[in-house]
Amino acid sequence: MEDLINKIKKRLHLRPEAEEFLYSISKEKTLSKGEVLIRQGQIVKKTFFVISGCLRSYCIDKNGKEHTLLFAIKDWWISDYIAIHTNELATLTVECLIESQVIEFNAKELDGIHSRFPEFESYQRHNLERHVVSLQKRILNQLQLSAAERYDLFLKQYPDIEQHTRNFHIASYLGITQQSLSRIRVEKVKK
Amino acid sequence: MKALQIIKYGEIKDSLSFNEVSKPTVQANDVLIEVKAAAINPIDKSIILGNLQGMLPIPLPSTSAYDVSGIVIETGNEVSNFEIGDLVYSRVPQEQMGTLAEFVAVTSEAVSKKPGNISFEEAASLPLTGLTALQSLEYAGIKENDKVLIHAGSGGVGSFAIQYAKAKGAYVYTTTSTSNLEWVKELGADRIIDYKTEDYKSIVKDVDIVFDTLGQSYSLESFEVVKTGGIVVSVVGPLDVASAKMFGMADYKLPAELAKASSEKNAEYKFIFMHPNGAHLNEIKSLVEDEKIKPIIDKVYPFSDSIEAFTHLASGRAKGKIVIKIS
Repeated sequence: MEDLINKIKKRLHLRPEAEEFLYSISKEKTLSKGEVLIRQGQIVKKTFFVISGCLRSYCIDKNGKEHTLLFAIKDWWISDYIAIHTNELATLTVECLIESQVIEFNAKELDGIHSRFPEFESYQRHNLERHVVSLQKRILNQLQLSAAERYDLFLKQYPDIEQHTRNFHIASYLGITQQSLSRIRVEKVKK
Repeated sequence: MKALQIIKYGEIKDSLSFNEVSKPTVQANDVLIEVKAAAINPIDKSIILGNLQGMLPIPLPSTSAYDVSGIVIETGNEVSNFEIGDLVYSRVPQEQMGTLAEFVAVTSEAVSKKPGNISFEEAASLPLTGLTALQSLEYAGIKENDKVLIHAGSGGVGSFAIQYAKAKGAYVYTTTSTSNLEWVKELGADRIIDYKTEDYKSIVKDVDIVFDTLGQSYSLESFEVVKTGGIVVSVVGPLDVASAKMFGMADYKLPAELAKASSEKNAEYKFIFMHPNGAHLNEIKSLVEDEKIKPIIDKVYPFSDSIEAFTHLASGRAKGKIVIKIS
């Protein structure tokens, strides 16, 4: 938590009472591999900041197959934001891929922090902008890049992730089959 | 709820009927599964025909089939490893038979989360054949570089067993007919024997394990190709003493010729009864997610065409599993 607080302090003047409030709406957790934090179909009240480890959010289509939306590694946030902001049930499942440390926040309280402490407004807007940028990039990459190009970008974005994830997690993030992923890897080695 | 039930023993068309039955209730250790897909196996056909009345007495009417995939919608008080919404698959135990229905209650010990990279239909095709192959080859102590003969590589159990044995690093011989050579080859077997044109006994020598999925003369012949000190595991041959005991046959003896062949080769003969096991299904889940094992499906039928699906199963012409999509 201290690490996150220090990061926030770099961006704004954090009053002691705001710091105290952050502590009051959060809880550090150690998660084991396979633990599920959010489950498709359930109400979502939490959002998670990753201190260490790796988590994955995915949806399950009507045939029962998983499609990975994102991996969250150190310093990333993860939750089902559709569920949080529209009060709908979760369309995503969030699971822990390796032993991980996270800070769990009450999402509504964290969202509303700027009404108590206005200094958070620009900080939150900045975070939101970064999130929108990353989502927009992900959509555009999916629309216009080849699978091999998307894989290259993926490796740049998540340099060490292959140690923590299964092939099918990566293939389902890139929207390709595992065979295609293997082919792309073989081609990369040849280059 | 709607269920496909066995109403009497006999011909498939006359013995199955869609009935409205009550939704199962969960016991403390059960999960209630909303069935998305079910698969049918030769044993389901044998039960309907009445061939297993002695071994597996079931009250009629009974809902048919054992293999299932679906979504957990309720959990018993003592279930801690599953939650509502989990996507699961199972080979349900005998006393909970009845996966050709909208819902089935299953003891959580027989359930596993389904592999995430395959559909409900594909997941439903795996449990019975997968558990049979895994438990047989694990009993035989399969390990890297073992030489293994798997009979009937195009069958449900055989096709899974080839992939499992390859995942374990074994050298696999398998037998199949000319028309199945190509797709069986894709499963990864090292030496595929076309039993219509080749004599497997002149090709296979001194293997560590024979997996007998055919029975009859093949059980005895296994001892001609197994190595001294090897093992023959069978899922269809004569019972061994231990499994006969389970059926209350205290003074059962292995057929004399089989006992003699086994003793001469100092090679064990073991009959395997597949038992439902969620932990084993979880191992299969990992192998499927790592693409070491692929489900092989012949055809998916809608629930309303289940009887036709059984007729197809009875024809013996399916190349892969027959799956029924329930919802």
